[in-house]
Order: sequence, then C-alpha cells, then structure tokens
Amino acid sequence: MNSSILLGVTTFAYLLATTLYLAGITFHKPKWLTWGTLCAIGTLLVQTAGIVLRWKESYDLGFGHAPLSNLYESLVFGSWVLVLIYVIFEKKIGHRALGFVPSGIAFLAMAYASFSPGVVSKIQPLVPALKSNWLIAHVVTCFMGYAAFAISFGLSVAYLWRRKKAERPLSLSTNSLIPGSRELDEFNYQMVLFGFFWLSIGIITGSVWANSAWGSYWSWDPKETWSLITWLIYAAVLHARAVRGWRGPRVAWLSVAGFCSVLFTYFGVNFLLSGLHSYATK
Amino acid sequence: MKDFHERVLWLWKKLGSLRFALFLFIILAVGCIIGTLVPQGLSEREIFSRYGPRTARWLVTLQITDLYHSLGFRALLVLLGVNLIACTLQRLPKTMALLRDRDEFLDPAKLTKYALHRVMDVPLEFSKVRSLSEGLLRNAFGQVQHLHAPADTLSLVVEKGRWSRYMVYIIHLSVLWIFVGALAGSLYGFKGVMNLVEGETSNEVFIPRKRAMIALPFQVRCNDFHVSFYENGTPKEFRSDVTILENDLPALHASIRVNDPISYHGVTFYQASYGAVLKKARAAFAKGEGGERFELELPFGEALPFGSTDLKVQVVDFTEDFSGFGPAVAIATWKEGEQPTGSWILMNHPDFHGNRIQGYHVTVLETERGYYTGLQVKRDPGVPVVLTGFVILLVGLFTTFYVPHKKFYFWAQKSNPGTTVVVAAWSNKKSLAFEKEFQHLCDRLADAWDRRNEEK
Ligand code: HEM
Repeated sequence: MNSSILLGVTTFAYLLATTLYLAGITFHKPKWLTWGTLCAIGTLLVQTAGIVLRWKESYDLGFGHAPLSNLYESLVFGSWVLVLIYVIFEKKIGHRALGFVPSGIAFLAMAYASFSPGVVSKIQPLVPALKSNWLIAHVVTCFMGYAAFAISFGLSVAYLWRRKKAERPLSLSTNSLIPGSRELDEFNYQMVLFGFFWLSIGIITGSVWANSAWGSYWSWDPKETWSLITWLIYAAVLHARAVRGWRGPRVAWLSVAGFCSVLFTYFGVNFLLSGLHSYATK
Repeated sequence: MKDFHERVLWLWKKLGSLRFALFLFIILAVGCIIGTLVPQGLSEREIFSRYGPRTARWLVTLQITDLYHSLGFRALLVLLGVNLIACTLQRLPKTMALLRDRDEFLDPAKLTKYALHRVMDVPLEFSKVRSLSEGLLRNAFGQVQHLHAPADTLSLVVEKGRWSRYMVYIIHLSVLWIFVGALAGSLYGFKGVMNLVEGETSNEVFIPRKRAMIALPFQVRCNDFHVSFYENGTPKEFRSDVTILENDLPALHASIRVNDPISYHGVTFYQASYGAVLKKARAAFAKGEGGERFELELPFGEALPFGSTDLKVQVVDFTEDFSGFGPAVAIATWKEGEQPTGSWILMNHPDFHGNRIQGYHVTVLETERGYYTGLQVKRDPGVPVVLTGFVILLVGLFTTFYVPHKKFYFWAQKSNPGTTVVVAAWSNKKSLAFEKEFQHLCDRLADAWDRRNEEK
C-alpha cells in the first residue's frame, strides 16, 4: 500500500460523492444526499491516510517534510481541507443539498493533480526557500481560507439561482431541498467570516515568513498582491452587508468575484505571472 | 457661511461613509490587478524598448510600471486611512452611548416580543423560584445584575461579551497601526543589496530604489560561500559565513542561510542570491594558422600589456551563462587614452568565430573561479509596529467574529397560585448555538423548579 494508490482511490471516490449529491438534488432523493455525505466522509478518511502515508514516505526517502511543498501536494491538501470544512459545516446547518459543489471541486482538484502532465506528483526534497516552520502555518491557514471561500462560492451561486427563481414564482421546479435565499445569505456570511479570518492569518503568516526569510514583510510579489486583492474583495463583502442597497445579490456577486480571485491567486499567478512563489509550478 | 459649513459637514460624512470604503476597496483591488499585469520595476530603457515610445510615455507618466509606489496608489492608501479615521470618529461615540445605555427595569410584555423567549407558569412559591433561579444563573454565568422591581417581582439581567462590540474599532485601529509601521519603515529604514566575493570586506550597500550606495557603520567580510545540492541536482542549502568587523576588529562570526538571517545593530542580513565570479583566466591568443601565438594570465579587472603590442588588455566581465552558450569572459583592449574595444569569449565553444580580439583568435584555457554571495541588507524600524498590528488585527477579527455580545433576561412575579416567569435572550450574533444555549438554560431552570416541587 502506498500513498499514490490511496490518493488515486480518493479521486474517484470524490467523483462518486459528487454524483450522489447531484443525483440527490436532481431527483429529490434526500436519502442519496445522505449517501453522498457518507461517501464524502469515507473518502476524507482514505485521503487522510494517503496524506499521512506520503508524509512518512518522504521521511523514508531521507528528506522528510510535510506534504505541502509543491503544486501536487497543495492540491491534495486543498481538497482535503475543503471537504473537511464542508462536512463539519453541513452537520452544523443541517442541509446537504449543496454538497456537490465542494465534493465536485475536490474531485476536480484531485483529478487535475493526478492527471495533468504539468503536475509532478513525485515526492521532492525541499528547496532552501521552503525550509521553514512557517511553511506549514502559511499553507494550512491559506487553504482554510480558500476552502471556506469555495463553499461560499457554492452558497452564493445557489443564492443567485434562488433569487432568479423567486422572480418567477410560477415556475414549478422550486427545489425544496435547497435552503431558502435568506438562509443561504446567512450561511454565506458565516463562511465569508470564517474564510476572511483564515485568509488574514494566511497572509500574515506569509508576511512574517517573508520578513524572516527575505527581509521584507511585503514586497508586492504577484502572489502576495493577488491574495491582497482577494482579501480586499472579501473585506468589501463584509462591509457591503452593512450598507443599504448592497445586501443580497450584490454581496453574492462579490463573493463569486472573490472566489474567482482565489482561483487566480492559486492558478493564474503560477502560470501567467512570475514571482517568488513560482516554484509552485514545478 | 452656513452653506459652507453644510458642505464641510457633507464632505466629512462622505469621507467617513461605508460606501466610500467599498469604493476604495474596489479601486484598490483594481489598482493591484493592473500592477500584477504590467511588469513592475523595469528601467526606463526597458519600458521604451518593450512598449514603444508612445505607450511607454503614458506608462511612465502614470507611474504604472512602479504602481505600488506611485503617487496615485499612495493617495488611495491615505484616503483609506482618512476614511477609517473619519468613520471611527463618527461612529465610536454612538456605539459607546448605545452600549453605556443599561436597562433599568424589565417589561415582561417587551420580553415576550424577543425572538428567543419563554413564558412559564411555575407551581412554586415566588421566594423559592427567586432563590433557585438566582443561584442557577449565578452558577451558569458568574455575575447577575438585579434591576429595580417591586417586592413581588424579580428582574435579573445577565450580560456577556459587551466588550466584543468594541473590537471592530480595534480591528480598524490595527489597520491604521500597520500603515503607521509601513510608513515608519519607508521613512527611516532602507533596503539594499550587498554582493561580497569570498574574502572581500565591505560596508557599502546598494539601494536599488534610490540607485545609490550607503555606507554601514561597520564592515562585513564574507569568509566563505557554500552551496550544496541534493542528488537530483536541486539546491539544498546556501550559506554565507561572514564576520562583522568594528574598527577592523571582529565583532561577530555568523552563518547566514536562506530562512535564517542575522541581525547586527538593527541591520539584518538575508541570504538572497549568489553567483560565480572569475578570479583569474589564462587565455591563448593566436593569429591565423601557425601564426603568432602567446598566452596570458589575466587577473580579473587588472590591465596588462597585450603581448608585444602597445595595447593594454583586461578581463572586464564574466558570466556563468551567456545567452545559453555557457560561461563567457569579456575581454577588452585599448590604446592608452583611447576608447576600449572588446568582445565576449565563449569558453565552451573555443571555435566560435566571435572569439576574436584585435585579429587574434582567443581561447580561454583555464579559469580560477570563486563565489560571491548576494546579501539583502535591511533596516526597518517599522517591523515591530507592523507585527504588533498583525497580532492585534487577528485578535480583533477573532473576537469580532466569534465572541457574541449576549444578554439573558429573567423576570418573575408572584401570581396566584405560584409564580409567572418570563425568560428572554438577545445576541448580536444570531446563531443556532445561541438558540440552543437559551433552550438549555430554560430547561435547566424548569428542571430545578420541578425537582424542588417534588421534594416538597
Ligand atoms: C482594510 C481595512 C479594513 C478592515 C480589515 C476592516 C475590517 C472590518 C471587519 C472585520 C468588520 C466586522 C464585519 C462584521 O462583523 O461583519 C468591520 C466592520 C465595519 N467596518 Fe471595517 N474594515 C476596514 C476598513 C474600513 C473602513 C475604511 C471603514 C470606513 C467606513 C470601515 C467601516 C466599518 C464599519 C462601519 C463596520 C461595522 C459594520 C456593521 O455595523 O456591521 N471599515 N470592518
């Protein structure tokens, strides 16, 4: 048994979870949604084992480090955090209907990590720049934020969809499994708070790390700048809720924009712009 | 005059408004995006050759190639600061007044309008309900406030987390505090680079932003630079062993690694880059097939007579990789008092036709190389300010988001027979957890009364 087998299984199991969730809301079968959750939790356990095993394997290779050091490892970890946060959130709010968004994103991330020729899945030693205890704190906190924003994205899209439905009250297909728009708005707010808090820690740990490694807590590196852009967008979301006329759809659209910014921070910067973090493209 | 006053008031209101804050957030985000799409920090020459004169003139005028240090961007940050200060000054007094305003008595009719409330008829004497409930609330929350009430009535209030309502102001202050730290750094600090060849001592730091040198009040000597690699060829460690000298006397021996800088008298040295330098090159100069041929030993940067001619020769530059052709040495020759001419000699391509100087074909036979270490040198008195700002920001975010301000109200009155009780609760953060907490409290109260009732 090695970590690549477990992580391979993970990829397909997330696809299964996504399918169950999607089928559940499409055909109005709450039971299938429950299976979706069970499948997601089971997959999470397999993935946890895979990550821990990969960690151990890196020690066996003689240059042990936490599996957070390149694009492959961060995609695996990102999908893990996403599903973990989602499962806890799902339990808290008692709605399963939107599970296909996080499980779907987790599947796409895993599939991309496993099958894209551009992503190296081999365990590599750490380059000197990454040899720091800040690495773990920085990556983990950033991904907590990104994961929350991914869920917020799902909630915002559902919210916008709900509002659209509400404009045509006669349409028959009001899906009772999906929470109402007020609830969605409230859930989204909770997620944005959570994400904003963790992204703030992520940016700050990155900044403190940069200060101790390169002597500058802020250097307008493209990745840094894009995380600031993301942060500004979500700061706008938080403040927009307190402004009359900005509640509702505008907040939802801002959250969608925020998640696009997250995606660009993560992928766009690596592939299109260069900077300190460009090691991540390897 | 009144008109003027009104206008100032209007402007002040606008400056402190949330809409203005939203506007600034979005404009700043757009500014940042532009800054990541247009390469930053290019020299004017690079800008012109890359974009052509027309676009380049615009880019330079609008400072788009140095956007984050441009006047416009700084103005936006200043406006954000002003916005924050104005907003705080406008809102803080209101918040304080609101929070200072305490309940004086409880009106049961009002309590039953709370989203969370419960009305209970308790078959127990008022005095028993009174002591039981008070004890239970005190146990659960520590402190319980008594409000004015007639003798047959009990009015209690429990309040938690009032202070968390002020934390949003702490968040905003921490942002200003971070701005102050950044400003202090840019006014009283410097950031530069110091390239030291192994064995070299210097106190000069090059400041790229100002294109100027500054001198440190002490000297730095690079004793050794060391780079090691993993088996697969990726770098494992970069290390500079340095000595700090005060008045030519060693004051500190230390190693600088990536992620492991050293500090001396407020100046911090970071391992930033490294490169190879040429110490000496031995080269052969030959004229045609079987023609004149001689060899020279050329220490880097030292002018020597060029064979038997009246020319001087000097190695003026060295690079590890010349446009993908490998290492190359730049050799120049000149006649005393005239302009030098020269060319790059490719070391790994001895037959390259461009390896030619003054009609001689040049072959580099041997080189003696060393390393130089590139140290980032920084002094930033703003760092402690910024770091404390970070900590305060995080504490502020956490408490604002997750410490609710909540109040529990308890009202009881003698009725015949028994006692009428109204319990209500309010929180600035509606949540399922709070609802549960309220229900749990009510259940515990009811339980306590039931038990006492049975004992009787
Ligand atoms: C980068 C700077 C800023 C940060 C990080 C920040 C952060 C925050 C946070 C986290 C909250 C709490 C939101 C919530 O609990 O939902 C908040 C609330 C608030 N902020 Fe800011 N803020 C910033 C700038 C500003 C500015 C420039 C203004 C100027 C108008 C402002 C005005 C407010 C107000 C009025 C509230 C209370 C909103 C309410 O009543 O719900 N903030 N801010």
